[in-house]
Amino acid sequence: MRRIGASLVSLAAFLLAWKLVTVLGGLPEYILPAPEAVAERAVGAVGSGVLWEHTGVTLLEIVLGFAVGASLAVLTGIALGKSVLVERVLSPYIVAAQAVPILALAPLLDIWFGGGLLARVAICALIVFFPIAIATMVGIRSADPLLDEMLRSLGAGPAQRTRLLEVPSALPVIFGGLRVGVTLAVIGAVVAEWAGAGSGLGVLINIANRGLFDTPLMFVALAALAIIGLAFYGLVVLAERRLVTR
Amino acid sequence: MTSTPSGSGLDVGIDAVDVRFPTPRGPIEALAGLSLEAPAGSFTVIIGPNGSGKSTLLRLVAGLLEPADGTVRVGGSAPRVGDGRVGLAFQQPRLIPWRSVLDNVALPMELAAVPAGERAKRALAALERVGLAEVTHLRPRELSGGMAQRAGLARALAIEPPVLLLDEPFSALDAMTRETFDSELQRLWMERPRTVLLVTHSVAEAVVLADRVVVMSPRPGRVVRVVDVDLPRPRPADLTGNPRAAELVAEVRAALASVRAAELRPWAEGAA
Repeated sequence: MRRIGASLVSLAAFLLAWKLVTVLGGLPEYILPAPEAVAERAVGAVGSGVLWEHTGVTLLEIVLGFAVGASLAVLTGIALGKSVLVERVLSPYIVAAQAVPILALAPLLDIWFGGGLLARVAICALIVFFPIAIATMVGIRSADPLLDEMLRSLGAGPAQRTRLLEVPSALPVIFGGLRVGVTLAVIGAVVAEWAGAGSGLGVLINIANRGLFDTPLMFVALAALAIIGLAFYGLVVLAERRLVTR
Repeated sequence: MTSTPSGSGLDVGIDAVDVRFPTPRGPIEALAGLSLEAPAGSFTVIIGPNGSGKSTLLRLVAGLLEPADGTVRVGGSAPRVGDGRVGLAFQQPRLIPWRSVLDNVALPMELAAVPAGERAKRALAALERVGLAEVTHLRPRELSGGMAQRAGLARALAIEPPVLLLDEPFSALDAMTRETFDSELQRLWMERPRTVLLVTHSVAEAVVLADRVVVMSPRPGRVVRVVDVDLPRPRPADLTGNPRAAELVAEVRAALASVRAAELRPWAEGAA
């Protein structure tokens, strides 16, 4: 109860500060709309169905992109963690893919993957991949060598040691990567939509910002993205509480 | 897992083994031409200075290591991890922290694909034998050091291995607890004799437990002396005042002194 109270107080303080900036700064709506203007615009966007339509598209991209990216990242991270050879061979490509700006790559990926949902899932998965793969690799290597020897003395093979020791040992670190990755998935979805999509919150931001000069609507879309990010982050934390028992 | 009836053990034979470990500065010779016979059902204690390869010797018999040269035989064939003929307990309990005590002790059976009901039954029986029947549901971190060590021993005993290898199993415990554990270990072994190889640094513990004490040299390890312990069993954990025990302790100590391990020399020797 006290935690909820504290959260409400901090939200109220944030909105108040926002309002004060607009009033004291005398900022016009197209630079920084007041919170109530954004709220009013949100009610309108929800009522017309525009917000739901774009939010649904972006949610689907995030869920699929995160699921694909995180699954591949965990599997790759296990391989990287278990084999120095695999790490030597693969890590330059993984690091290079991460170092290249996703904004520059996104239009190409959009073409390569046919411009549809698949392309946006691929871009989202790519941005999610790196932190989770690296976290998994580090986590796998954190397994206690004494426990590993104990398992080997009982005849456990590499796959059994991964399942019984390495993955459970790595879980806290993997969840660290998942927390970072899930917020990146939101960015990935928007970047992917900017590279060429017809709908989604990223598209709505572009329409509001450059087409309609409707800054309050852009803030509605940004708020929706922030809420989606918070919600998915919360889901990861919940899953972590259930799965990490230490 | 094994056709050998429990309570008999298997012969362990080590013949002229060399073990080398690679290091950046060239290979280190851990064991050089070491030979040792432990007849089925015997209790052998291995003692020697640090770095004499005692743990390496146990890992050979467990099948965790292969010798560069020579042969290792358990019941006439080369040891293989996971075949149920050998149980190994370590200086640390090495329990998996996110598993209950029961699930830790059931692990060897799980890896040997024993059905779930059967492995729980056998794990519980092993825990009863080491006096841990009341704490089966606890996590390892909730156990005291001595209880955790007993759980590690129960895991090694759970498959009823004909050969039990104990690598300094009680050396992290306080002296009183250790004496109790030595007595209990002797009782467990007398109830169900099997071949035991135990590594220790304690001469007193060696004489209390062993049929034969094997004294090893510093690296590269080899056997310098085998002392037969002819004291009647069950022996008390404290043999102070027993004249024959005193003779045997003196004999083992003399053998240890004769190998002149660097660390057993007086510290000030170099300065003098």
